Amino acid sequence: MDTEQLPDVPPVAAIEQLAVEGEAAKGTPAAGTGIPGRERGERIRTAIAYVVLFSVAALFFIPFLWSVSTSFRTLADTVAGFSLLPRHWTLSGYHDALHTFSFGRYTLNSAIIAGAITVSNLFLASLGGYAFARLKFPGREVIFLLVLGTLMIPDQLRLVPIYLMLVNWIPGWVAHLGWHNASFVNRNGVIMIQLVSAANLFLMRQYFLTIPRDLEEAAKLDGAGYFKTYRKVMLPLAGPALAAVGILTFQGAWNGLFWPAILLQDKSQYTIPIGIANFHFAYQTLWPPLMAASVLAILPILVIFIVFQRYFVAGVAASGVKG
Amino acid sequence: MAVAVAKRRQARGLGNERLREALVGYGFIALPLAFFLLFFIFPVGYAFYISRYDWQIFKGPFVGWGNYTKLYHDTVFWTHAVRNTLVYTAFVVPLEVALGLALAVVVNQAIRFRTFFRAAFYFPSLAASAAIVSIATYILASDGLFNTILNHLGYHHNNAWFGEQSTALPSIIALTAWTTSGTMMLFYLAALQSIPTDVYEAAAIDGAGAWRTFWRVTFPLLKPAHFFVLVVSVIGALQMFDQSFLIGGASGGPNYSTMTVVLYLYNQSIKNISFGYGAAIGVVLFLFIFTVTVIQRLLFGKPEVA
Repeated sequence: MDTEQLPDVPPVAAIEQLAVEGEAAKGTPAAGTGIPGRERGERIRTAIAYVVLFSVAALFFIPFLWSVSTSFRTLADTVAGFSLLPRHWTLSGYHDALHTFSFGRYTLNSAIIAGAITVSNLFLASLGGYAFARLKFPGREVIFLLVLGTLMIPDQLRLVPIYLMLVNWIPGWVAHLGWHNASFVNRNGVIMIQLVSAANLFLMRQYFLTIPRDLEEAAKLDGAGYFKTYRKVMLPLAGPALAAVGILTFQGAWNGLFWPAILLQDKSQYTIPIGIANFHFAYQTLWPPLMAASVLAILPILVIFIVFQRYFVAGVAASGVKG
Repeated sequence: MAVAVAKRRQARGLGNERLREALVGYGFIALPLAFFLLFFIFPVGYAFYISRYDWQIFKGPFVGWGNYTKLYHDTVFWTHAVRNTLVYTAFVVPLEVALGLALAVVVNQAIRFRTFFRAAFYFPSLAASAAIVSIATYILASDGLFNTILNHLGYHHNNAWFGEQSTALPSIIALTAWTTSGTMMLFYLAALQSIPTDVYEAAAIDGAGAWRTFWRVTFPLLKPAHFFVLVVSVIGALQMFDQSFLIGGASGGPNYSTMTVVLYLYNQSIKNISFGYGAAIGVVLFLFIFTVTVIQRLLFGKPEVA
C-alpha cells in the first residue's frame, strides 16, 4: 500500500514512457514525445511547470515555516517589521507556552486522551472486525449494517443527549459498579464517547476479509480457540490495517476540538487545541508563545506523518472505498 | 447402525461448534455493539425526546413542537447561522474539490519529488485546526505577513482579516479550501490510480491531447469519486464549527459574521444551557444533512467504489 509500491499507472506519463524510456526510468518528468524539434519547447514547458509546482507547494508550507520562525522570536521582534528569520533567537516563546501558559500540562492531557482512545479503538475495532469478518452468528449482517449506519449520525445530533447522559445517568451507573462520585464532564467523558468508531471497525473487517483462511484452519487444527486465533494469527497479519487505524485515530483525537470544547471545563484537563482556543481569546497578540503552542500541536503529527506516510494514504484510500 | 450413531454424534458436535462460534461472535462484538447502541443509536431518539421539552438545566414541561416553532421564528438562526453556513458551503465545496482534483492529477504524473509534493499538499489536512487557525490569525493580522506583502504590492489593507465583518467569512472559506484540498486530493488520487492505462492509450492513439483527454476521458471516469468527494465535502461544510469557534468564539463574532449552524447549536446548548432548544437544532440539522445526502445520491446515482 506504499505510495511508491502501488501499481499506480500515471496515465499520460505511462504513454510517454514508451517514447522516452531512458529518461522516464530515471524519474525525469515525461518530457518530449520524441518528435525532433519539439524537445526544446517541451523542456521549457517542463521547467515552467516545475516552477509553478514548487510555488504552489511553497504556499502549502510557508505558513508553517513562518509560525516556526515566529515561535523563536522575542515579542519585540514580532512588531519590528518584516524579517525572514528571528533577529534574536530565543526559546522564551516555548518556555512561556510550556510553563506560564500551561501547555506542558495540556500536551500531557492531549497525549493521555489521544493515547487512550487509540488503544481502545485498536482493540475494539479489531476484535469486532474479526468477529464480523470470520465468525458466523445469527443476525450478523443486520448488526453490521446497524453499526455502519452510525456513520450517518452527526456529532451535533449527539451533543445534547450525550451531554445529559454523561451528567445525569452514567455517574449513577458506574456507582453501581463501585465507582462513586465519578464525573464524565471531563477527560474521562471525552475518552468514553470515542472508545471505538464504525469507520475503524469497518476498515479492520475489510482487511480481515482479505487474509486467506489457511492459517486460521491450521491454528484451529492445533486446538487454538477463537480469541487465541484472533490474537496470535489474525492480529500479527493485520499490521498495515492496525497501523492505519491507530495513526488516523490518534491524529483525530489529538486534533479534536468539538467534544473537548463541550466536555473539558476544568483548565487542568485542557488539551492543546482547547488551550490554544483559550489563549487566542485571552492574549491574542502574544505571538511567540501562541506559535510555539501551535508548533507543539503540529509537531507530533508531522513526525508520525513522515514516518508512516504510506499508512495515512492507505487509510484515507480505504475510507474512500466504502462510498 | 454404528455409522449412523457416529454421524449423529458428529452432527451434534458440529452443532455445538456452531453454537460456540455464535456465542464467541456475540461476545466479541458485545462491547462495540453496546457502545454504538448507547452513544449513537439511542441518542438519536433521545435527542428528539429532549427537543419536545422546555429543558433548561432540568427537564421542564412538555412543549410539543414549541422548540421547533421557536427555531422557525429565530432570526439569528436564519439570517446569520443558516445563511453563513450555506454561503460557506456554496463557496468552499467547489474550491476544495477543484483544487483537490487539480492537485491529484498533478501528483499522479511521473514527476520528480512526487512523494514530496503529495506530502506537502496533504499535510495541512492533518494539522490541528486550532494550530492552523492561530497561524492564519497571525498571518492575517492587521500587521501580519499577508498585509505586509499586500502593502509592498501597493495594495493597502490594514485590518485583521478575521476581525472585520466583511472579510471574516471569506477568509475562513479560503483557509478551509486550502487545508481540506489535500484530503480531496487523496480521494481523487486513489480513484485516478484505479483507471486502467489502456483507456489512455486508446485516447492517445485517437490523437487526443492532454487537456482533451482529461475532460473527455478522465473526468467522466471519475464519476464515483466525484460523488464521494462531493458528499464528504458538503457534509463537512454543513458541519463547520472549528474555524468559527476558534476565530469568533461561541458568539460567532464579529457581529455574527462567522456564526454557523453548529456553532449556534453549541452556543444554545452549552453556553445558554437550553438543552431542549439545542436538541431541536440538532434534529433539524440532521434531517437537512440526510436530505442533502439523499438528493446527491439521486443526482449522481448509486455510488460505486470510489
